[in-house]
Amino acid sequence: MHIVIMGCGRVGSTLAHILEDRDNTVSVIDRDPEAFRRLGSGFKGDRVTGIGFDRAVLTQSGIERADAFAAVSSGDNSNIIAARVARETFGVQRVAARIYDPRRAEVYERLGIPTVATVRWTADQMLRKLLPEGGEPLWRDPTGRIVLAEVAFSPSWIGEQVKALEASTMTRIAFVDRLGQAFVPEPGTALQEGDVLHVVAKEGDLNRIAAAFAARGGEH
Amino acid sequence: MRVAIAGAGAVGRSIAGELLENGHEVLLIDHSPKAIKVDSVPRAEWLLADACEISSLDDAALQRCQVVIAATGDDKANLVISLLAKTEYGVPRVVARVNHPDNEWLYNESWGVDVAVSTPRLLSALVEEAVSVGDLVRLMTFGQSEASLVELTMPDDAPLVGQRVGGIEWPADTSLVAILREGRVLVPQSDDPLQAGDELFFVTSEDVEEELARLLSAG
Repeated sequence: MHIVIMGCGRVGSTLAHILEDRDNTVSVIDRDPEAFRRLGSGFKGDRVTGIGFDRAVLTQSGIERADAFAAVSSGDNSNIIAARVARETFGVQRVAARIYDPRRAEVYERLGIPTVATVRWTADQMLRKLLPEGGEPLWRDPTGRIVLAEVAFSPSWIGEQVKALEASTMTRIAFVDRLGQAFVPEPGTALQEGDVLHVVAKEGDLNRIAAAFAARGGEH
Repeated sequence: MRVAIAGAGAVGRSIAGELLENGHEVLLIDHSPKAIKVDSVPRAEWLLADACEISSLDDAALQRCQVVIAATGDDKANLVISLLAKTEYGVPRVVARVNHPDNEWLYNESWGVDVAVSTPRLLSALVEEAVSVGDLVRLMTFGQSEASLVELTMPDDAPLVGQRVGGIEWPADTSLVAILREGRVLVPQSDDPLQAGDELFFVTSEDVEEELARLLSAG
């Protein structure tokens, strides 16, 4: 594959090396020629100096035959513009843009540009290392909207089937951790004491779900 | 009408002043504290914020604006502001400033831009208009349409000098809208003869511009 990377910072240069090691051809674009020093002398691909959404610069980087494009410069605006140009003007199927601002990342995802929302992700990772377990979701999708989280449930659900809990709380249970073994439950799986339930949900719904799991609604 | 202007530099402030004169409500947004010169346009509302961020645009209540003008000196910011104004806040009319001519091609509906205003292009059109005689000069294009306003100064030897306006067969979709003669505006009447030195203003469509140029220069 041929892959074009815009932005030769730490992320861009690391990506370039990994991709090249996996037998891809790589071109790196940066507006500052000094930045290419990060690539070192071992890098065999093209170094293109210029603005990453300039058509001539992109053409020089081989965008027309590129299979993928990564926008990892330090500017959110440059990254989204370059990613859209790569996708919409040059028809590159796989593009991804690193976006610091989490709310804009959400907008761009909706517009069909996959984003890596660095700030949200880093903050999460830090929190998980700083706070006791369970305080934060285990996983968050790149836009930061959907989370995988552990949710405690009321003992009154013990013995009930997973599908009953799901239906009553309008929630999807992704997997169950039982005695140290994780498995994907069947609708008919009965809940046991000590089960740890993991749900996939919109982050904003987590409180509602926790409340619904803690009380046993829908009975009588 | 409520108008938000992103970028409170010389351009943003002067647009704000004009709009306020015409009775509109204006909000000026800039992310640099140095640009917040409330005294220069005291009747405008001012907001110190980055107009590329959703939270700033929420504060600005962009959904209540009929027009958003992205007038910063940074083309990337202008495109992002336009996109957010259109897709997130449904602003009916988005006007964006082009700073660098190389970026002009990006200013279209896929970025939410309804009208692109290119300072370098305007400037070069005006200069061209000032120095050229006998050449068709495009002064501006209306919105994203194909209609444009073009100008031509009649040279002394132009074939149409002396002809009646009503007797000339203009190309399709072309209208002679005004004649500037010795500093006065004439609304063209069919009996008026054209004179050397007349400045003719046409509204025309892009695809017949060449035909119009040929008609005016033929001889």
